[in-house]
Amino acid sequence: MKTMTANRKKIGTTLGFVALAVAILAVALWSRQINQVAIPEDRTLFVAAFLAAAVLGVAAFAIGTRWFGGVPAIFAIAVGSFLPFTIAISPQQVAENPIRVGDTIPIFTALDDTGERFRSDDLAGSPVLIKFFRGHW
Amino acid sequence: MLTVSTDKPGVIQKKRGVHRLKARMLSDRNLAVTDAFGLRNQLIHSGPPGDDVEALPVPTTLLVNSDGKVLWIDQAENYQRRSGPEVVMAALQTHLDAP
Repeated sequence: MKTMTANRKKIGTTLGFVALAVAILAVALWSRQINQVAIPEDRTLFVAAFLAAAVLGVAAFAIGTRWFGGVPAIFAIAVGSFLPFTIAISPQQVAENPIRVGDTIPIFTALDDTGERFRSDDLAGSPVLIKFFRGHW
Repeated sequence: MLTVSTDKPGVIQKKRGVHRLKARMLSDRNLAVTDAFGLRNQLIHSGPPGDDVEALPVPTTLLVNSDGKVLWIDQAENYQRRSGPEVVMAALQTHLDAP
């Protein structure tokens, strides 16, 4: 009986490390896509990879692990759940009347990063590319 | 080129250095510019933890001509998608290099 339990824990521990390896691989590939500004429209494969890491982590616990097998399993569950979570909250929707092609941009002012005030009037006569983004986040 | 985000000026300066950005970068803490363009995200606000900003803009790139008219818009239906450089360059060539 003791040997059976030890074997189960060995398998669970191994599974925990496999889960961690899958999680690290998935994060590495996802990060590469982000750095290349090349996140695919269809993210099914990435979600599957992240979920696989989480499921393997849960399976490791279900089987039972040694104490050091639990750490990578927890990490894999946390990381594996992260991408599906961010995808679930990622849809964006603008206000009812957003600016559209053909519209004239509104007049606006704002401080730049040096504390100097920018006025949209300053743009007159020059084409400009304006990028609204989520900042450092 | 002009960028608009809700980052504080100090954060913008720091990130500008890290990413070697040369654009004029505006801080829109109260979303006044974002709202003037109608680009405030209406769905779940997933901003930086601890930052007191109310919302974030929907990631959007606009090409504006010398008369202030919008020629082209690229907008993300989810915040994980950005306008890639090839998309922006193609728009510049199409709209600004056109005879």
